Order: sequence, then structure tokens, then C-alpha cells
Amino acid sequence: MKISYKWLKDYVNLDVDPKILEDHLTFAGIEVEAIEQIGEDLQQFRVAEVLSAKKVEGSDHLQVCQVNDGSDEPLQVVCGAPNCRTGLKVAFAPIGSIIGGEFKIKKAKLKGLASHGMICSAKELGISEDHEGIMELKADAQVGQDLATYLDFNDIVYDVEITPNRPDLLGIIGVARDLSALYHKELHLPQAKEWESRGDVKDSLNLEIENKSKCSRYIATVIKNVEVKESPDWLKKRLIAVGLRPINNIVDITNFILMETGHPIHAFDYDKITGKKILVRNAYEQEKFLALNGEIYELSQDDLVIADAEKAIGLAGVMGGANSEITAKTTNIVIEAACFDYASIRRTSQRHKLFSDSSYRFERALSPETPSFVKDRARDLILELAGGQLQSGNLDVYPNPDSANIMVELRPARVELVLGTKIPLTEMKSYLKSLGLELITDNPDKLKYKIPHFRGDLLREIDLIEEIVRLHGYNNIPVKTSLQKIMNHKHFRFERKIKDLMVRAGLYEVINLTLFDPQSLDKLQVGTEDFRRRLVELKNPQSNLMRAMRTSLIPHALNCAEYNINRGNKDVRIFELNKIILNNSNKTTEERKFLTALLTGNRFDNYWKDKSGKCDFYDIKGIIEDLIAETNLDVSYQVSNENFYREDHALDIFWKKLKLGSLGQIDPKIAKSFEIDTVELKQDVFIFDLDLTQLFEIMNFSEREFQEINKFPNVHRDLSFNVNSDIKVADIIHSIKVVNKSIMKNVLLMDEYKGKNIPQGKRSLTFSLTLNSENKTLTDKFVEQLIKKVIQNLEKKFNIEMR
Amino acid sequence: MKEKLKQIITKAESELNLITSKPDLLNAKSRIVGKKSEINSLMKNIKDVAPEDRREFGQLINEAKNYLQELIDNRTKVIDELIYKEQVTSSRIDLTMPGRRTVQGGLHPLTKIWREVEDTFLSMGFEIADGFDVEDEFHNFDALNTPKDHPSRNLADTFYVEDNILLRTQTSTVQIRTMENHQPPIRIIAPGRCYRNDKMDASHSPVFHQVEALVVDENISFADLKDTLNMFVQTMFGKDIKSRIRPHFFPFTEPSAEIDISCVSCGGSGCRICKNSGWLEMGGAGMVDPSVLATVGIDPEKYTGYAFGLGIDRITMLKYNIPDMRILFENDLRFLKQYR
Repeated sequence: MKISYKWLKDYVNLDVDPKILEDHLTFAGIEVEAIEQIGEDLQQFRVAEVLSAKKVEGSDHLQVCQVNDGSDEPLQVVCGAPNCRTGLKVAFAPIGSIIGGEFKIKKAKLKGLASHGMICSAKELGISEDHEGIMELKADAQVGQDLATYLDFNDIVYDVEITPNRPDLLGIIGVARDLSALYHKELHLPQAKEWESRGDVKDSLNLEIENKSKCSRYIATVIKNVEVKESPDWLKKRLIAVGLRPINNIVDITNFILMETGHPIHAFDYDKITGKKILVRNAYEQEKFLALNGEIYELSQDDLVIADAEKAIGLAGVMGGANSEITAKTTNIVIEAACFDYASIRRTSQRHKLFSDSSYRFERALSPETPSFVKDRARDLILELAGGQLQSGNLDVYPNPDSANIMVELRPARVELVLGTKIPLTEMKSYLKSLGLELITDNPDKLKYKIPHFRGDLLREIDLIEEIVRLHGYNNIPVKTSLQKIMNHKHFRFERKIKDLMVRAGLYEVINLTLFDPQSLDKLQVGTEDFRRRLVELKNPQSNLMRAMRTSLIPHALNCAEYNINRGNKDVRIFELNKIILNNSNKTTEERKFLTALLTGNRFDNYWKDKSGKCDFYDIKGIIEDLIAETNLDVSYQVSNENFYREDHALDIFWKKLKLGSLGQIDPKIAKSFEIDTVELKQDVFIFDLDLTQLFEIMNFSEREFQEINKFPNVHRDLSFNVNSDIKVADIIHSIKVVNKSIMKNVLLMDEYKGKNIPQGKRSLTFSLTLNSENKTLTDKFVEQLIKKVIQNLEKKFNIEMR
Repeated sequence: MKEKLKQIITKAESELNLITSKPDLLNAKSRIVGKKSEINSLMKNIKDVAPEDRREFGQLINEAKNYLQELIDNRTKVIDELIYKEQVTSSRIDLTMPGRRTVQGGLHPLTKIWREVEDTFLSMGFEIADGFDVEDEFHNFDALNTPKDHPSRNLADTFYVEDNILLRTQTSTVQIRTMENHQPPIRIIAPGRCYRNDKMDASHSPVFHQVEALVVDENISFADLKDTLNMFVQTMFGKDIKSRIRPHFFPFTEPSAEIDISCVSCGGSGCRICKNSGWLEMGGAGMVDPSVLATVGIDPEKYTGYAFGLGIDRITMLKYNIPDMRILFENDLRFLKQYR
């Protein structure tokens, strides 16, 4: 529903900025879905003056005009309106402006005459139904001024979502009432006026309700000799603001009241009512009804109609009939203010797929009390704006007037229990009073309230508590802490992820005791200044084997390998993720998490289709590469300076200048000192050792961002060449990629071959190149040229020989 | 003319029936209906036919040609079927030969139970807190209300690094560190390693694993403790397992209790594992002693709390029916592979 800021101010003295009000509405439960500046599209039109208007030859209505719209040169415009004349101030739509949201004004030619824009009628501008010629502006209108300013169209309109439990908010007054409660301000309702009346309404009209279960109330008011005409500007502006088109004063008033109160009313042309009678009855089976929208509906007995002595003149609560429509010729009218059964309205509306502003409201269960108010409001506005004589007396059928008297008790202690905060009694009372609740018993432990008729949703104590907290503000409820954020969730998930990754890589987890024999550091030839020498030793060890807290997981990994090899498990693939504990110089200790893995023996269990090979350096490196890929880190490798690895068969891993760990083949002599005879076993031992505490600190935890999946196909090319054995593969890959980094998506080593047919000191390498572009399909020609460049580059740099 | 067509058809029929391969069929097709086929050359004779008979002549040849094409199509179907049958019957496999297993490792059974314990408590709204293995005497003993001359402080029971620096004998140290840094509400578990000067045997290890739970808030009672224990035990061991607490003594809880669960092996009727008692001892519990709260600066009048500690090694042994604690730390692959 649309709510106008200016209209709201008619009832409650708002002093908040419209932008802030948007927030306040939303957080009071009236969700603002869009906010609109009224008059925005009128800003594209300008006040202009017709400098001259001449008949176009060969046309009976077209005139060619010179128009001054405030720009430097007068514009030639062809206009068909009879009232276009020299000296008239008009509303001008220049080239490029858009009329009615879709029709764009372009340079046009009529009868061979160029036309640079359009002079508009009020209907074309969406501000009135008047399309009898162009809109005539006041003689003192300022040429060049935009039309929104000239017409004083500026308002803010909120498009709000009203929840189904609050039909009272389907009128501006309902929203104003909530705001009056929210801001503790008074609500100003329009006051009924006194009018002279004549005659007896009962002589003019006879009212009867046949189906009282579907029509809980019906009030008919008769006003004679009204003048149907255009509404005043203020009324038109209100309607335009909330998205309705002004039609004539009577229809506009009924629409205005629907928007104002949320309670629909209807006006009939009195003279079209046969037999001076209004009868609320069930429709006849297959009764035909021509509605105001021009459609004919075939009714059923379940539909409720408003009828005269002969025929249906309205589909109750849904739409009026064309046969009783108010027209320019209407002089006498009947105003209907009624209340219909919501379920019946919903069924009728669904059955005929006929939905109106009226049915939308009635099917949400309106109060039968409101018709008295809207009847007065309609009478006052019509007599003011259309004149006429009110007929005396009342036609009001209200079979069960006391049905809407509901009392609810509220215990302030209960409010505190439910909300977890104490809201002052005066504040609670103020909210409820402003919402229209009447305090019946003022007992501070238990307040008794009478619920206003328009709030059918308030039935229980908990409903009132909701109202209180809604207005108090959900954001003003203090947070009750239940968790202290002690846990490091990131670290928790990191460790699980690493362990799972190791398991996927085919490793078994081992768990060793934290205590070790520091002599094993000597066996590993760890230097005396190495951090692993910072031992935390026990004063009362059980044995030398458990003399100190371990400073490395490697000795236990080697022990595990030895233990299993001695028991016939020669293929050992294990890891441990655990603490090492270091002594700090200042007598404190430091606990760090390490991840250590060991591979030896077969890569996998022999399988009848393919025999396994022994693990080698590239197996352990592959696991590290998998792990590093999970960290989003750019690491580099250098030949390791650890003593326990075989010379030139190990790497240290760095991130920037920080050493994260190492990987490589354990030196056979060192393996032997741990009682693993690699020569006899014919298998080497490989290890990696990683400082997880350090890795965790530098790791990039940002989630992977989605990468657009390329719609152009990949192109693959293989390159095979001989090259000196001391040229490193990493350097070759880099040199290939560097030729065109954006196209060269992947360079994969496919094969290495040494021996027969390859010269001494050389090796043959095969690379598979994946090429791709994000914005085109790569042509053969392009790919060939690129590959040629790659080869030239490699020949120059590494002296390769293509095979 | 009709005779000639009949001849061509009969010849094609017998020829096609002998063909069993796709290449042969293609050759035959070009011979029978191709450009240089007999029937095509017949068509060229149409100019020699009397104009009034040309229509019939053409019709006859076309009919024959269509018929020949039909013969070829039918033979194609027969040969396709032959090829398909050959394809599906030629390579039979031995379905009993073993499949290619993926290479996979496995978590240590202790880790599996550790995760299960963590997940159970996480689902009950607990946080996980971490602590140090090397601790000071204050956090391990003093703050936990342990008297200065308490026997557990002896060298025979506790490993020392310095005079007042030791290897924690219980994860309760994390309780103290957490409460020192956070005001209630506190709702944590602290799983971790503990050390006691015990010789390694079937049910003891100098290094073992515990999980400690601590809840401190307003209105926390003994009844809450029992509820959490029940929830935990039933999640870990099943709905039929009961837990009970019996009076005991710990310096840092008052009232203190030991936790038993009904035997996971016999269900309570008595067996070797529960030594015929029907119950298994699981750990210690109790309401946090007010003086412990006061020591860490939490108002014992406003807040109450409970704590309990359980052995993760013990839970693992019970769940997996492992008879000897030493097996857990030997890391024999034949053992580890059982739990992948």
C-alpha cells in the first residue's frame, strides 16, 4: 500500500525527516519496500507559452505553433487541440521526455511540418481525467519552470507491506495512529460536522438486508442535487500521490475515504435505483452483472449483491455496477457505508478473479463499527465539495452491535519475563492508549484494557506485549549473552581440515606421547643452536626415553615406521598432528602445533591390474602441494639445510622469508640410526614437517570467489624437446607461461625420458599446454604463432632441441 | 523388361544374404543401386522406349529400385545386430576379481571419538576451550582448592619441570584460565592431554586424554549437571545407557560425585568388562566449589556452576571394545587400519 508523507501529517504532527521515518516505519513493523518522490516525472515537463498558432492547410484541426519553453530559440510544434491559441501558457513535453511511463517524445513530422515536442492535456500528464484539449495554465505561470514546481507536486510516498493481521493499517489514519503511539504524539482525526438537512431519508429510500450473516452492517445516506465536477487540486494531489487517477469529485471522495480510513465506501446514482429500494441479498443463480470495469459476471447464490427493486447494482464489497455509476449527469446520490463478511468477499473475489482495493480490504475482516465514521466523513466531504441537500434521518441496519467488545488483561511482570527487560509502566500505558486501547482497571499488577473495534488482532495478553515491544523498538531490547566467544572456531576447523586432507592423501594418523628422548635430536644431527634444542626437561622422568617434552614429531614418526616395518608392515604412510613444546629463555614455555608425515614402501597396495611402485620424493611433494593449495598461500622452495635429509633430495618451504617446514628423503645413515635399513629394505623414507601454528597465523582464510566458467573451449598443445639435464623444469614452465600469461592457462609436465636415443647429459621433456581466452575462441593461426614464439623463446634461453 | 528386373532382384537378394560385414555391404550397395549399377544403366534406356510407355517404364524401374534399397536396409539391420551381439559376447570378465580400491588413510580411533565428543557438546551449545600442557602449580592445584600438602602434588604422582611448573594432571586448569578471563555465562568443554606419573599398563598411561566440561551462570544446579551428563552419555553410547552419580571427594567441587554409566557391554546384567557390577566408572563431577569461583573473581553468591571430567581414552576403549590402553599409542597399522 502507498502512504503519502504529507497525507500522514494531516493526522499526526510528524517532525522527522522522511528518510528517517522510513526506518521508523520498518522497525515498527510496517515494512517499507520502496520510497518514491512524487512529481519526479513531472519535472521533465516545462511551462511554455504559445507565441503563435496558425491553421495547417489541408487539416481541419491541426495548428502549427511557435512555442517558447524558456530555451534560446522558439520551437515549432504541431498541435491538434482546439483550445490551443496564441498567448496561452501550456504544459510542454520536450523531445526526450517520457509520457505515461512509456511514450517517448521524438521529433515528428505532421502534414510535412516538423514538430519539436508536444503540448499536453492533463490526462496525458496523469493529473486528471480531463482530455478535452490541452491543459491551460495560469496566465502568470513562469515560462521554463518545471511542471512539478509549478503544480506544487512534491511529496514522499512509501510503498509499505501491511501484514495480514493488521487491516487497520490499510488506511492512512491507521498508520498515523501507530506513529502517534511511536512518537507519543496526539492523533488528530477529522471531526464530523453539523449540516442542515431536509426531508426524511426514509421517503427517498427503503433499506433491507436479507442475508444478515454476510452483511453485518449497512448505512445508506442520500444527498440530492450534488454537482459532479472536477475535484479541487488538494484532493487530486492526494489521490495521485497514492497511485489513483482523479475522476470526478464524488468518485474521488469515495477513493479518498478508502485510502484515508482503510474502509471502502461506494456511491450510487440515486436516479438509477429502481423502486427507491436498496436490498442486500444473495445473487440469483446465473444472475448477470455488468461491473464498473465493463466486464459481465455470471453470479452464483454464494455471491452477495446490493440490489434495487429489480436488479443487482453492486457486487457487495467488491465492485459497483455500471448500471448505477456516478457520471457527469448525476445529481442525486446514495452513499453506502457497510461491512461484509470477509470469507464471503474472498470467495466471490476468487470465484470471479475480480480483485479491487475494496475486496482487498474487506477480505481482511473490517470492523462493523467503522461505517458510522466513514459515513460522516463522506457526507461532510461531499457537501463541502459537491454541494447538495442532505436527507434527514438514518438508514442504518446493524443487527448485532455489541459483538466487538473485547477486554484483555496485561501483567507488567509478564512483559518483563517475555521481553527480558523492564519497560516503565508509563511507557507501556502511553503506547496502548495511543493505539486506542481504553484502560478499564488501573491495577499496577494487572491492567485491564478494552480493545478498540478496529484492532481485531488483539485478543490476548501476548498480543499486547507484542504491541509494546514493537513500539518500544526491537533494537532497544538488550542482548542477553549466553556464549562468551571463547572458542576459536577458525582454528578448530583448520585442524580438522588438515587432518581430513591427510586422510584423503592416504595417510594414517598416529598418536604418540608428548615425551621423548632428546638423544634422538643428536641422531637427527640437529644443530645446537636449532630451536628444537630448546628443551623442556622433567625433574622426575620415569625413564630416559621420556625425559623431555618433544620439540619435533620426526623422531616418533621414524619410531613408528621402524615399529611397523619390524612387524611386517613395510608400506608405511602415516602422519601426526600434535603439539611440540619449547623452552623460552624467560622460563616460560611455548606450545606449537606441528604436522609431520612419513612415507616409505609401496605407493599403494599391489593390484592385479597394475603393480605399485615405491614412494619417492614426488609423492611427499605432492601431498605438500595439495596442502598448500588449501591455504591460498604463495610459497617458495629452496634446497633444504636440514642435516637429516639426503643431500640435494630435500626442500625447505618458505612463505616470504618465513620457513614453514621442510620435506625430503631421510638420509640413509640417519634412517639406519633409527634402525631402518633402507638399503636392505630397498625402500627410502620420506618425510615432511610443517609448523602449523605458523601456517595458521599467515593463512588466507577468505572464501574462494566464484570464477566465471569460460564458455570458450580449451586448446591443448604438446611440446617435446631435448634439453640439458641441469635446466630446471620450474624455469622451463615459467618461460612458457611468460610468453602470454592470460592465454597460457596451464603448463603440465607430461613425461621425462633419459637414455636410449637421448644424448648424454640431456633429457627429453614433454609438456602439455592448455590455452584459453575468456573472450574469444582461439584460432589455429593464433595458437600456432604463439607456440612458435614459445619454442623460439625456449631455444634462445635453454638451447632446446625440438623432437 | 519385367524379366530383367526380376533377374536383378534375385541376384541382389542372393548376394546380400552372403554379406556379414559393414565394408562388404557398402561395396554391394554401390554395385546394386550405385551409379554404375545394372538398374541405373537400365534407366538410361528410357529414351529408346516409346513415349506412351515411358511412364510405365519409369514407374517399374523406380519400384524395383525402391525394393532393392529396402533389401539393403534390411540387411544393414541384420548386420548391425550381428555386430552388437559380437560386441557384447566377445569380452567376458570375471566378476569375482577384486575391484580397484581408492587409496585412503584413516584417523586414529582416539581422534574419531575426540571429534564425536566435541560435536556432541557443540550441539548442546558448548564452546571448546584450549589450554597448555605445561602449567603452573597455581592453575593445576592452588586455584582448584587443592591443599598444599595434598598427595596428588607429590613427585610420585605429578611430573615437574621446575618447582612450581608441572605437566597438568587434569584439564581443569582450562576452567581456571577461562574463568580468569571471562565472566559468566560460561559454557565450555576443554578436551586435552594430561600427565600423571603412572607406569604404562593395560589401563594406565603417563599421558592420557580428558575432556572437561564447565558451566557457570545464574540458576545452574545439580539437576542441570545430571541432565547434561545424561544427554552426553546417551548421545555417545545410545538411548539405553543410563548414567548415575555417587558421592565422592574432589577438592574443587562441592558436592562432588563420581560418574558411572550402565555397562555398554552387558547392559547392566554384569560381565567381565564391568567386573560384574553392571556399571562402568567414567569420571568425576560436581558443583564448582564457591571458593574456586571466588578465587577467579566470580561472585559465588550470584553464580553457580557445575564441572565434570571424562576420560577420552576410556570412552574410546569402551566404544571400540579395545582391551588394552597401550594399543592406542603403539600405532600399529594393523590396528589403525581397523578404524578407517
